[in-house]
Amino acid sequence: MLAKRVIPCLDVKDGKVVKGKSFVNLKDVGYPPDLAAEYSKEGADEVVFLDITATRESRRTVLGLVKETAQKVFVPLTVGGGIRTAEDMHQALLAGADKVSVNSAAVSHPELISECAGRFGRQCVVVAIDAKRTAPGRWEVYTRGGSQPTGIDALKWAAEAEDRGAGEILLTSIDTDGQKDGYDIPLTKAVVDETSVPVIASGGCGSMEHIYQVFAQTDCSAALAASIFHYRECTVGRVHDYLRERGIEVR
Amino acid sequence: MKLMLADYGVGNLHSIRKALELAGAEVEVVSDMSRLLGAKGMVFPGVGAFDATMERLLPVREQVRARLAAGVPALGICIGEQIMFEGSTEGKDPGLGVFPGRVERLPAEMLPHMGWNTVETVDPLFDGLEDHHFYFAHSYYGHPSDDSIVRGTTEYEGRRFPTVFRRYATYGFQFHPEKSGDEGLDLLKHFVAFAEGQQ
Repeated sequence: MLAKRVIPCLDVKDGKVVKGKSFVNLKDVGYPPDLAAEYSKEGADEVVFLDITATRESRRTVLGLVKETAQKVFVPLTVGGGIRTAEDMHQALLAGADKVSVNSAAVSHPELISECAGRFGRQCVVVAIDAKRTAPGRWEVYTRGGSQPTGIDALKWAAEAEDRGAGEILLTSIDTDGQKDGYDIPLTKAVVDETSVPVIASGGCGSMEHIYQVFAQTDCSAALAASIFHYRECTVGRVHDYLRERGIEVR
Repeated sequence: MKLMLADYGVGNLHSIRKALELAGAEVEVVSDMSRLLGAKGMVFPGVGAFDATMERLLPVREQVRARLAAGVPALGICIGEQIMFEGSTEGKDPGLGVFPGRVERLPAEMLPHMGWNTVETVDPLFDGLEDHHFYFAHSYYGHPSDDSIVRGTTEYEGRRFPTVFRRYATYGFQFHPEKSGDEGLDLLKHFVAFAEGQQ
Protein backbone atom coordinates (compact mmCIF):
# COMPACT_ATOMS: atom_id res chain seq x y z
CA MET A 1 0.00 0.00 0.00
CA LEU A 2 1.20 3.49 -0.81
CA ALA A 3 2.56 5.18 2.31
CA LYS A 4 1.69 8.71 3.44
CA ARG A 5 4.72 10.95 3.10
CA VAL A 6 6.21 13.22 5.76
CA ILE A 7 8.28 15.95 4.16
CA PRO A 8 10.57 18.40 5.92
CA CYS A 9 10.72 21.71 4.09
CA LEU A 10 13.79 23.87 3.96
CA ASP A 11 12.90 27.51 3.31
CA VAL A 12 16.13 29.05 2.11
CA LYS A 13 17.13 32.70 2.18
CA ASP A 14 20.64 33.97 1.40
CA GLY A 15 21.96 30.40 1.41
CA LYS A 16 20.57 29.55 4.87
CA VAL A 17 17.49 27.73 6.09
CA VAL A 18 15.07 30.14 7.72
CA LYS A 19 11.65 29.87 9.30
CA GLY A 20 9.14 32.68 9.61
CA LYS A 21 5.53 33.38 10.46
CA SER A 22 3.34 33.83 7.40
CA PHE A 23 6.42 34.39 5.24
CA VAL A 24 7.74 37.37 7.27
CA ASN A 25 9.96 37.77 10.40
CA LEU A 26 12.40 35.15 9.14
CA LYS A 27 14.73 33.39 11.56
CA ASP A 28 17.94 31.59 10.57
CA VAL A 29 18.07 27.88 11.54
CA GLY A 30 20.90 26.26 9.58
CA TYR A 31 22.84 25.30 6.44
CA PRO A 32 20.60 23.59 3.82
CA PRO A 33 22.76 20.65 2.68
CA ASP A 34 23.54 19.67 6.30
CA LEU A 35 19.93 19.82 7.43
CA ALA A 36 18.72 17.94 4.34
CA ALA A 37 21.26 15.15 4.94
CA GLU A 38 20.24 14.92 8.58
CA TYR A 39 16.55 14.68 7.71
CA SER A 40 17.26 12.06 5.08
CA LYS A 41 19.13 9.98 7.65
CA GLU A 42 16.25 10.33 10.11
CA GLY A 43 13.81 8.87 7.59
CA ALA A 44 12.39 11.85 5.69
CA ASP A 45 10.27 10.57 2.79
CA GLU A 46 11.37 13.47 0.67
CA VAL A 47 12.95 16.88 1.15
CA VAL A 48 11.61 20.15 -0.24
CA PHE A 49 13.99 22.99 -0.80
CA LEU A 50 12.35 26.38 -1.39
CA ASP A 51 14.34 29.46 -2.24
CA ILE A 52 11.73 31.76 -0.69
CA THR A 53 13.26 35.05 -1.72
CA ALA A 54 14.00 34.08 -5.32
CA THR A 55 10.81 35.43 -6.85
CA ARG A 56 10.44 38.50 -4.73
CA GLU A 57 14.01 39.65 -5.09
CA SER A 58 14.23 38.58 -8.72
CA ARG A 59 16.90 36.07 -7.91
CA ARG A 60 17.30 32.63 -9.38
CA THR A 61 17.62 29.53 -7.26
CA VAL A 62 21.08 29.00 -5.85
CA LEU A 63 22.05 26.01 -7.99
CA GLY A 64 25.30 25.29 -6.21
CA LEU A 65 23.43 24.71 -2.97
CA VAL A 66 21.00 22.40 -4.77
CA LYS A 67 23.89 20.42 -6.20
CA GLU A 68 25.56 20.03 -2.81
CA THR A 69 22.26 18.99 -1.21
CA ALA A 70 21.47 16.49 -3.97
CA GLN A 71 24.83 14.75 -3.46
CA LYS A 72 24.05 14.00 0.18
CA VAL A 73 20.41 13.06 -0.04
CA PHE A 74 19.19 9.63 -1.26
CA VAL A 75 15.52 10.46 -1.05
CA PRO A 76 13.63 12.59 -3.58
CA LEU A 77 14.46 16.27 -3.58
CA THR A 78 12.03 18.94 -4.74
CA VAL A 79 13.38 22.36 -5.56
CA GLY A 80 11.41 25.57 -5.98
CA GLY A 81 11.62 29.32 -5.85
CA GLY A 82 12.24 31.67 -8.75
CA ILE A 83 11.53 29.10 -11.45
CA ARG A 84 10.27 31.19 -14.38
CA THR A 85 11.00 29.21 -17.52
CA ALA A 86 11.37 25.63 -18.70
CA GLU A 87 15.08 26.35 -18.91
CA ASP A 88 15.13 27.30 -15.20
CA MET A 89 13.49 23.97 -14.48
CA HIS A 90 16.00 22.19 -16.68
CA GLN A 91 18.88 23.80 -14.76
CA ALA A 92 17.38 22.73 -11.41
CA LEU A 93 16.97 19.15 -12.70
CA LEU A 94 20.54 19.13 -13.97
CA ALA A 95 21.72 20.36 -10.56
CA GLY A 96 20.14 17.28 -9.00
CA ALA A 97 16.48 18.03 -8.26
CA ASP A 98 14.04 15.16 -8.84
CA LYS A 99 11.06 17.49 -8.96
CA VAL A 100 10.75 21.21 -9.45
CA SER A 101 7.96 23.40 -8.15
CA VAL A 102 6.59 26.42 -9.96
CA ASN A 103 4.35 29.03 -8.42
CA SER A 104 4.14 32.69 -9.54
CA ALA A 105 5.40 32.05 -13.08
CA ALA A 106 2.83 29.30 -13.61
CA VAL A 107 0.04 31.67 -12.57
CA SER A 108 1.13 34.37 -15.01
CA HIS A 109 2.04 31.90 -17.79
CA PRO A 110 0.03 28.67 -17.25
CA GLU A 111 1.45 27.19 -20.48
CA LEU A 112 4.75 26.86 -18.59
CA ILE A 113 3.24 23.83 -16.82
CA SER A 114 2.48 21.96 -20.06
CA GLU A 115 5.80 22.93 -21.57
CA CYS A 116 7.70 21.52 -18.57
CA ALA A 117 5.52 18.40 -18.32
CA GLY A 118 6.09 17.74 -22.03
CA ARG A 119 9.85 18.17 -21.81
CA PHE A 120 10.63 16.54 -18.48
CA GLY A 121 7.63 14.34 -17.65
CA ARG A 122 4.76 15.30 -15.40
CA GLN A 123 6.16 13.39 -12.43
CA CYS A 124 8.77 16.11 -11.95
CA VAL A 125 6.42 19.10 -12.27
CA VAL A 126 5.05 20.32 -8.95
CA VAL A 127 2.67 23.27 -8.96
CA ALA A 128 2.88 25.18 -5.67
CA ILE A 129 -0.29 27.04 -4.72
CA ASP A 130 -0.44 29.60 -1.89
CA ALA A 131 -4.09 30.14 -0.98
CA LYS A 132 -5.94 32.48 1.38
CA ARG A 133 -9.53 32.14 2.47
CA THR A 134 -11.95 34.80 1.20
CA ALA A 135 -15.29 33.26 2.26
CA PRO A 136 -16.44 29.89 3.61
CA GLY A 137 -15.41 27.32 1.01
CA ARG A 138 -13.60 29.88 -1.15
CA TRP A 139 -9.89 30.60 -1.41
CA GLU A 140 -7.84 33.00 -3.51
CA VAL A 141 -4.44 32.29 -5.07
CA TYR A 142 -1.59 34.54 -3.91
CA THR A 143 1.79 34.77 -5.63
CA ARG A 144 5.20 36.32 -5.05
CA GLY A 145 5.85 34.60 -1.73
CA GLY A 146 2.28 35.05 -0.52
CA SER A 147 2.30 38.84 -0.91
CA GLN A 148 0.30 39.34 -4.12
CA PRO A 149 -3.43 38.61 -4.44
CA THR A 150 -4.39 37.44 -7.92
CA GLY A 151 -8.19 37.26 -7.87
CA ILE A 152 -7.90 33.64 -9.06
CA ASP A 153 -10.00 30.96 -7.37
CA ALA A 154 -7.66 28.38 -5.80
CA LEU A 155 -9.84 25.35 -6.59
CA LYS A 156 -10.21 26.32 -10.24
CA TRP A 157 -6.49 26.95 -10.47
CA ALA A 158 -5.68 23.56 -8.92
CA ALA A 159 -7.89 21.83 -11.51
CA GLU A 160 -6.34 23.82 -14.35
CA ALA A 161 -2.81 23.06 -13.13
CA GLU A 162 -3.64 19.35 -13.21
CA ASP A 163 -5.14 19.61 -16.71
CA ARG A 164 -2.03 21.37 -17.93
CA GLY A 165 0.25 18.62 -16.65
CA ALA A 166 1.08 19.14 -12.97
CA GLY A 167 2.20 15.86 -11.41
CA GLU A 168 1.67 17.07 -7.88
CA ILE A 169 0.25 20.06 -5.99
CA LEU A 170 2.07 21.63 -3.08
CA LEU A 171 -0.73 23.42 -1.28
CA THR A 172 0.10 26.07 1.33
CA SER A 173 -2.55 27.84 3.37
CA ILE A 174 -1.50 31.42 4.04
CA ASP A 175 -4.07 31.54 6.85
CA THR A 176 -2.55 28.69 8.86
CA ASP A 177 1.11 29.01 7.82
CA GLY A 178 3.38 29.78 10.74
CA GLN A 179 0.52 29.60 13.28
CA LYS A 180 1.51 26.10 14.50
CA ASP A 181 -2.15 25.42 15.06
CA GLY A 182 -2.71 22.64 12.53
CA TYR A 183 -3.11 22.31 8.77
CA ASP A 184 -5.96 23.98 6.89
CA ILE A 185 -8.27 20.96 6.73
CA PRO A 186 -11.14 22.54 4.71
CA LEU A 187 -8.75 23.90 2.06
CA THR A 188 -6.80 20.64 1.80
CA LYS A 189 -10.00 18.61 1.54
CA ALA A 190 -11.41 20.92 -1.14
CA VAL A 191 -8.29 20.74 -3.32
CA VAL A 192 -8.00 16.95 -2.93
CA ASP A 193 -11.66 16.64 -4.02
CA GLU A 194 -11.07 18.90 -7.01
CA THR A 195 -8.02 17.05 -8.37
CA SER A 196 -6.66 13.55 -8.95
CA VAL A 197 -2.95 14.21 -8.56
CA PRO A 198 -1.15 13.86 -5.22
CA VAL A 199 -1.62 16.87 -2.91
CA ILE A 200 0.97 17.87 -0.32
CA ALA A 201 -0.61 19.75 2.60
CA SER A 202 1.46 22.62 3.93
CA GLY A 203 1.19 25.43 6.46
CA GLY A 204 0.38 25.26 10.16
CA CYS A 205 2.10 22.15 11.46
CA GLY A 206 3.02 22.57 15.12
CA SER A 207 2.99 18.95 16.32
CA MET A 208 2.85 15.28 15.32
CA GLU A 209 -0.86 15.36 16.16
CA HIS A 210 -1.41 17.92 13.39
CA ILE A 211 0.20 15.59 10.84
CA TYR A 212 -2.01 12.76 12.05
CA GLN A 213 -5.10 14.97 11.77
CA VAL A 214 -4.45 16.05 8.18
CA PHE A 215 -4.02 12.39 7.14
CA ALA A 216 -7.04 11.23 9.17
CA GLN A 217 -9.34 14.00 7.96
CA THR A 218 -8.29 14.40 4.31
CA ASP A 219 -6.99 12.20 1.50
CA CYS A 220 -3.85 14.26 0.96
CA SER A 221 -0.77 12.22 -0.04
CA ALA A 222 1.83 14.03 2.00
CA ALA A 223 2.29 16.54 4.80
CA LEU A 224 5.00 19.16 4.76
CA ALA A 225 6.45 20.69 7.92
CA ALA A 226 9.35 22.93 8.77
CA SER A 227 9.67 24.26 12.31
CA ILE A 228 8.91 21.05 14.25
CA PHE A 229 11.92 19.52 12.53
CA HIS A 230 14.17 22.60 12.44
CA TYR A 231 13.78 23.24 16.15
CA ARG A 232 14.32 19.54 16.92
CA GLU A 233 10.89 19.22 18.52
CA CYS A 234 10.73 15.80 16.87
CA THR A 235 12.27 13.71 14.09
CA VAL A 236 10.59 12.26 11.01
CA GLY A 237 11.25 8.80 12.49
CA ARG A 238 9.19 9.69 15.57
CA VAL A 239 6.39 11.09 13.42
CA HIS A 240 6.37 7.82 11.43
CA ASP A 241 6.07 5.78 14.64
CA TYR A 242 3.29 8.02 15.93
CA LEU A 243 1.33 7.69 12.68
CA ARG A 244 1.90 3.93 12.45
CA GLU A 245 0.53 3.44 15.97
CA ARG A 246 -2.61 5.27 14.86
CA GLY A 247 -3.16 3.13 11.79
CA ILE A 248 -1.71 5.42 9.11
CA GLU A 249 0.45 3.60 6.52
CA VAL A 250 3.99 4.97 6.57
CA ARG A 251 7.27 3.53 5.42
CA MET B 1 32.96 -4.34 -10.80
CA LYS B 2 32.72 -1.78 -13.55
CA LEU B 3 29.24 -0.79 -14.70
CA MET B 4 28.42 1.41 -17.66
CA LEU B 5 25.70 3.94 -16.96
CA ALA B 6 23.72 4.98 -20.04
CA ASP B 7 23.41 8.76 -20.40
CA TYR B 8 20.45 9.46 -22.72
CA GLY B 9 21.24 13.17 -22.55
CA VAL B 10 17.93 14.11 -20.93
CA GLY B 11 18.49 14.29 -17.18
CA ASN B 12 20.95 14.30 -14.31
CA LEU B 13 22.69 11.12 -13.22
CA HIS B 14 24.22 12.46 -9.97
CA SER B 15 22.15 10.35 -7.58
CA ILE B 16 22.28 7.05 -9.45
CA ARG B 17 25.99 7.41 -10.11
CA LYS B 18 26.76 8.24 -6.50
CA ALA B 19 24.46 5.47 -5.22
CA LEU B 20 26.12 2.83 -7.46
CA GLU B 21 29.53 3.98 -6.27
CA LEU B 22 28.40 3.67 -2.65
CA ALA B 23 27.16 0.18 -3.56
CA GLY B 24 30.72 -0.73 -4.52
CA ALA B 25 30.69 -0.35 -8.30
CA GLU B 26 33.06 1.57 -10.49
CA VAL B 27 30.83 3.66 -12.76
CA GLU B 28 31.51 4.87 -16.27
CA VAL B 29 28.92 7.23 -17.72
CA VAL B 30 28.57 6.68 -21.48
CA SER B 31 26.73 8.94 -23.90
CA ASP B 32 27.96 7.06 -26.99
CA MET B 33 25.63 4.06 -26.69
CA SER B 34 27.79 1.82 -28.91
CA ARG B 35 30.21 1.75 -25.94
CA LEU B 36 27.61 -0.33 -24.09
CA LEU B 37 28.41 -3.25 -26.40
CA GLY B 38 31.72 -3.74 -24.60
CA ALA B 39 30.25 -3.40 -21.09
CA LYS B 40 30.61 -6.07 -18.39
CA GLY B 41 27.46 -4.68 -16.80
CA MET B 42 24.99 -1.95 -17.75
CA VAL B 43 22.64 0.35 -15.88
CA PHE B 44 19.78 2.17 -17.62
CA PRO B 45 18.70 5.02 -15.31
CA GLY B 46 15.21 6.39 -14.86
CA VAL B 47 15.10 9.86 -16.34
CA GLY B 48 13.02 11.25 -19.21
CA ALA B 49 10.11 10.04 -21.32
CA PHE B 50 10.08 6.86 -23.43
CA ASP B 51 11.04 8.25 -26.86
CA ALA B 52 13.61 10.69 -25.46
CA THR B 53 15.21 7.79 -23.61
CA MET B 54 15.28 5.54 -26.69
CA GLU B 55 16.59 8.18 -29.11
CA ARG B 56 20.31 7.54 -28.65
CA LEU B 57 19.75 3.82 -28.19
CA LEU B 58 17.82 3.22 -31.44
CA PRO B 59 20.87 2.84 -33.73
CA VAL B 60 22.35 0.11 -31.48
CA ARG B 61 19.06 -1.40 -30.32
CA GLU B 62 19.59 -4.84 -31.89
CA GLN B 63 23.17 -5.15 -30.68
CA VAL B 64 22.33 -4.09 -27.11
CA ARG B 65 19.49 -6.61 -27.05
CA ALA B 66 21.89 -9.31 -28.26
CA ARG B 67 24.36 -8.48 -25.45
CA LEU B 68 21.59 -8.65 -22.85
CA ALA B 69 20.27 -11.91 -24.34
CA ALA B 70 23.81 -13.27 -24.10
CA GLY B 71 23.68 -12.73 -20.35
CA VAL B 72 25.50 -9.46 -19.70
CA PRO B 73 24.10 -8.29 -16.34
CA ALA B 74 21.98 -5.15 -16.51
CA LEU B 75 19.60 -3.07 -14.45
CA GLY B 76 16.85 -0.83 -15.80
CA ILE B 77 15.29 1.69 -13.42
CA CYS B 78 11.80 3.19 -13.97
CA ILE B 79 11.84 4.39 -17.60
CA GLY B 80 15.10 2.44 -17.95
CA GLU B 81 13.06 -0.67 -17.07
CA GLN B 82 10.19 0.31 -19.38
CA ILE B 83 12.48 0.55 -22.43
CA MET B 84 13.30 -3.15 -21.92
CA PHE B 85 9.80 -3.91 -23.25
CA GLU B 86 8.83 -4.01 -26.93
CA GLY B 87 7.11 -0.64 -26.95
CA SER B 88 4.99 1.82 -24.97
CA THR B 89 1.66 3.61 -25.29
CA GLU B 90 3.60 6.66 -24.06
CA GLY B 91 5.77 6.79 -27.18
CA LYS B 92 6.17 5.79 -30.83
CA ASP B 93 9.67 4.30 -30.78
CA PRO B 94 10.24 0.59 -30.20
CA GLY B 95 11.88 -0.46 -26.93
CA LEU B 96 14.86 -2.78 -26.61
CA GLY B 97 12.52 -5.77 -26.66
CA VAL B 98 14.32 -7.74 -23.97
CA PHE B 99 11.12 -8.14 -21.94
CA PRO B 100 8.13 -9.52 -23.89
CA GLY B 101 5.12 -7.20 -23.69
CA ARG B 102 4.33 -3.50 -23.75
CA VAL B 103 4.27 -0.50 -21.44
CA GLU B 104 0.78 0.74 -20.63
CA ARG B 105 -0.87 3.45 -18.60
CA LEU B 106 -1.43 2.38 -15.01
CA PRO B 107 -5.16 1.77 -14.43
CA ALA B 108 -5.58 4.06 -11.40
CA GLU B 109 -7.53 7.14 -10.39
CA MET B 110 -4.66 9.07 -8.91
CA LEU B 111 -1.66 9.42 -11.18
CA PRO B 112 1.26 9.62 -11.03
CA HIS B 113 1.67 6.72 -8.60
CA MET B 114 4.02 8.74 -6.45
CA GLY B 115 5.62 7.91 -3.15
CA TRP B 116 6.81 4.95 -1.07
CA ASN B 117 5.28 1.55 -1.64
CA THR B 118 6.16 -2.06 -0.85
CA VAL B 119 7.21 -4.82 -3.24
CA GLU B 120 6.03 -8.41 -2.80
CA THR B 121 8.88 -10.57 -4.02
CA VAL B 122 10.83 -13.73 -3.34
CA ASP B 123 13.68 -12.76 -5.66
CA PRO B 124 17.05 -13.32 -3.92
CA LEU B 125 18.10 -9.74 -4.77
CA PHE B 126 15.61 -8.59 -2.12
CA ASP B 127 16.89 -10.89 0.66
CA GLY B 128 16.49 -9.00 3.92
CA LEU B 129 14.55 -6.19 2.24
CA GLU B 130 11.17 -7.89 1.90
CA ASP B 131 9.09 -5.57 4.05
CA HIS B 132 10.63 -2.30 3.00
CA HIS B 133 9.19 0.57 1.01
CA PHE B 134 10.76 1.87 -2.19
CA TYR B 135 10.16 5.18 -3.98
CA PHE B 136 7.94 5.24 -7.08
CA ALA B 137 7.11 8.14 -9.45
CA HIS B 138 5.40 6.96 -12.66
CA SER B 139 2.13 6.78 -14.59
CA TYR B 140 3.01 3.85 -16.90
CA TYR B 141 4.00 0.27 -16.13
CA GLY B 142 5.41 -2.76 -17.89
CA HIS B 143 2.71 -5.25 -18.88
CA PRO B 144 4.49 -8.49 -19.82
CA SER B 145 3.03 -11.01 -22.26
CA ASP B 146 4.93 -13.71 -20.38
CA ASP B 147 4.40 -13.70 -16.61
CA SER B 148 7.51 -15.76 -15.96
CA ILE B 149 9.62 -12.57 -16.11
CA VAL B 150 7.72 -11.02 -13.18
CA ARG B 151 9.78 -11.16 -9.98
CA GLY B 152 7.82 -8.73 -7.81
CA THR B 153 4.50 -6.91 -7.59
CA THR B 154 3.10 -3.83 -5.86
CA GLU B 155 -0.42 -2.97 -4.74
CA TYR B 156 -1.93 0.41 -5.62
CA GLU B 157 -5.57 1.45 -5.28
CA GLY B 158 -6.53 -2.15 -4.60
CA ARG B 159 -4.85 -3.60 -7.71
CA ARG B 160 -1.56 -5.44 -7.98
CA PHE B 161 0.81 -4.69 -10.83
CA PRO B 162 4.29 -6.00 -11.69
CA THR B 163 7.20 -3.84 -10.52
CA VAL B 164 10.24 -6.15 -10.61
CA PHE B 165 11.25 -8.09 -13.73
CA ARG B 166 14.07 -10.38 -14.73
CA ARG B 167 15.00 -12.06 -17.96
CA TYR B 168 18.51 -13.38 -18.73
CA ALA B 169 20.67 -11.36 -16.28
CA THR B 170 18.65 -8.19 -16.87
CA TYR B 171 16.67 -6.82 -13.94
CA GLY B 172 14.05 -4.11 -14.20
CA PHE B 173 12.72 -2.09 -11.24
CA GLN B 174 9.76 0.25 -11.59
CA PHE B 175 10.86 2.14 -8.46
CA HIS B 176 14.01 4.19 -7.87
CA PRO B 177 16.52 2.39 -5.62
CA GLU B 178 18.77 5.47 -5.72
CA LYS B 179 15.94 7.49 -4.12
CA SER B 180 14.91 4.83 -1.62
CA GLY B 181 17.21 5.66 1.29
CA ASP B 182 19.39 3.01 2.95
CA GLU B 183 17.28 0.07 1.75
CA GLY B 184 17.63 1.29 -1.83
CA LEU B 185 21.42 1.43 -1.40
CA ASP B 186 21.36 -2.11 0.06
CA LEU B 187 19.41 -3.34 -2.97
CA LEU B 188 21.96 -1.76 -5.32
CA LYS B 189 24.73 -3.52 -3.33
CA HIS B 190 22.92 -6.80 -3.96
CA PHE B 191 22.70 -6.00 -7.67
CA VAL B 192 26.42 -5.17 -7.87
CA ALA B 193 27.22 -8.50 -6.16
CA PHE B 194 24.89 -10.30 -8.58
CA ALA B 195 26.58 -8.63 -11.58
CA GLU B 196 29.98 -9.66 -10.22
CA GLY B 197 28.76 -13.25 -9.89
CA GLN B 198 27.80 -13.28 -13.59
CA GLN B 199 31.36 -12.60 -14.81
